[in-house]
Amino acid sequence: MNQLSEFSLGKALQSKGSIHCVGIVGCGTVGQEITLLVAKSGIEVVFVDVSSERLQEINTALGDHLDDEIRHWGMTGSEKRLVLSRIKGTTDIKDLGGCDIVIEAISSRQRGTMIELRKDLFEKIEEVVSDDTIISSQLSTLMISDLAVSLKKPERSIGLHFIDPIGKTQIVEVVRGEKSSDQAYETVSRFCGMLKKRVINVNESPGNISTRMIIPFINEACELFVEGVASIQDIDTTMKEASGHHIGPFELADRIGLDKILKYMDNLYNEFAERKYKAPPIIKRLVRAGFLGRRTGKGFYNYEDGKATSNAIEFVINKK
Amino acid sequence: MKIIVLNCGSSSIKYQLVDMPAKDVVAKGVVEKIGLKGSFIKHSKTGAEQVKLEGEILDHQQGIEYLLGILTSEKHGSIKKLEEIDAVGHRVVHGAEEFSGSVLITDEVVGALERSSELAPLHNPPNLKGIYAMQALLPEIKQVGVFDTAFHQTMPEHVFLYAIPYVLYEKYKIRRYGFHGTSHKFVSARGCEMLNVDINNQKIITCHLGNGSSVAAIKDGKSYDTSMGMTPTEGLVMGTRTGDIDPGALLYIADKEEISIKYTQTLINKFSGLMGISGVSSDMREIEDAANDGHQRAQTALEMFAYRVKKYIGSYAAAMGGVDTIIFTGGIGENDTETRKRVLNGLEFLGIELDESKLNIRGKETELTLPASKVKVLVVPTDEEMMIAKDTFEIVG
Repeated sequence: MNQLSEFSLGKALQSKGSIHCVGIVGCGTVGQEITLLVAKSGIEVVFVDVSSERLQEINTALGDHLDDEIRHWGMTGSEKRLVLSRIKGTTDIKDLGGCDIVIEAISSRQRGTMIELRKDLFEKIEEVVSDDTIISSQLSTLMISDLAVSLKKPERSIGLHFIDPIGKTQIVEVVRGEKSSDQAYETVSRFCGMLKKRVINVNESPGNISTRMIIPFINEACELFVEGVASIQDIDTTMKEASGHHIGPFELADRIGLDKILKYMDNLYNEFAERKYKAPPIIKRLVRAGFLGRRTGKGFYNYEDGKATSNAIEFVINKK
Repeated sequence: MKIIVLNCGSSSIKYQLVDMPAKDVVAKGVVEKIGLKGSFIKHSKTGAEQVKLEGEILDHQQGIEYLLGILTSEKHGSIKKLEEIDAVGHRVVHGAEEFSGSVLITDEVVGALERSSELAPLHNPPNLKGIYAMQALLPEIKQVGVFDTAFHQTMPEHVFLYAIPYVLYEKYKIRRYGFHGTSHKFVSARGCEMLNVDINNQKIITCHLGNGSSVAAIKDGKSYDTSMGMTPTEGLVMGTRTGDIDPGALLYIADKEEISIKYTQTLINKFSGLMGISGVSSDMREIEDAANDGHQRAQTALEMFAYRVKKYIGSYAAAMGGVDTIIFTGGIGENDTETRKRVLNGLEFLGIELDESKLNIRGKETELTLPASKVKVLVVPTDEEMMIAKDTFEIVG
């Protein structure tokens, strides 16, 4: 009940299109990072995942993530409680009913685009949200227009790409699809402002700016290594020094996850049929060996406590 | 003349409607959780019970609209129409070097405040929101800005500069500004009224001790030095802030813990001070309870707090060539008799003769020293809102 409404002077400019609640569908690593980013910005989050066991796992992971921030002096215990109080997990998609923006963020680790599944989700989301809710997707290599075809109101769809590490990067790629309305763009731009992120306006194209630039960069680094031109460490060091990057191509690939990189390569190659996007055998081999990067403790490098300690790749290549 | 005083924080607005020059508080309250779930207004008018009204408050403008609606309502109001409000007084945290006193808010002033937001990114933007909101709701009303930093603009250059390359001061205005100025000014003036002495020939040390704490050296009615610096982190040990710390130690911590500037800011502002040392709480009462139960680190935290205040009193007495009056104010300064005793213990050499019968008096104007005491020690409850109303009245009236 709004006890204050009777004291309204009718003068205040109501904040139109205010964003109070955001839905996240699929709360894997990326979904969790977006959930925390949004909740830390004072916005309520409803995340949807497949089972109550999964919800429990996610809640634990969210708490662990915040505990890690506390250990590194990033936030206080009471701030953690406040952030978690804004997050609600559910298995029922109907709970997205009160959301102003819904972001589909189902796992991008499996190969293939899972486009049918995503389209189906878009349709289901539209059934339960209000008419002016924005329906979005965390897009790396997919096209928002391909998902929007399943919507009755495709103008409400717009793509977002939160770039890893999501809590730290200062930008979000906002991707206008064929039918995205100006209102949808304005709403997500305001949303990004609330998250203290700068909007990078992108006209729809697979890979947006970031993924499309990163993939050939990693690919070329793999070729250099495989040709025996230089070691992994020296290629990384050279690119950091020569280009002013704070992270080299192999470190970057490990941070993103080699399974994800492989998927991006497949998707971009399918779209453009250009060699520069084609997945190199070395990455396929690492993924098959379960060397997925930082997340698994092994990728191009070995990791201990999140820090690269040595080169892991010799093992995969030279093992008998 | 009716003046509304607004103190806008990031998600709250404290307000008072004051009748001037009578200094009668007609109504007061607080708007809480602006833009968040569970927002509400707590309002009380003189002679009536406090009411809590809940409802969605999306932004500062809507919060101010509602509080004005309540003030003019039949149910809880104190005035019949908005036109009865003659002026608005805003607390503004950072006035940088541009404002050495309270000013009428003009477009130029707003521009200067927007520029100085860089120096106080947590405080000035919400202060500005309050100004914008009043401009939108009552475009004709006169608004006055009262700055926390203004009173300290009289500090001489050798006091306010940091010993860093001068070019950094010239480029970025990196220097000590000091805060709580409205409070230091109010209690020093009121203390002189209580003692019936002329502030223009007094050496006063004011101790504003609360969750945020600062000490000021006030010579001849002007701020000569104060413990807070470019930000409110410098100086005394506070609830969760470090106060003075070797910058070398900070760099070392950041290196060892591998933390960013942002996290280092959180470390020095939210994890440190009484909370960081005691591990119990940032609340002085809880720390005292723990210390009484034998909690060693709580006892250390209390000693550190008092020691730092005492050190500043001593250094300011030296800086001014003596001291006539020491004043305690703020939540701890006004009410925490044990902390006051710890601070004053051992300062007899300055010429302080305490009146033991008064040391346990809390929360009201009190002279803690004997009539013969060379240096007077007072408790003066602060009233920043009244000071803002007074400055606003002087400028608008």
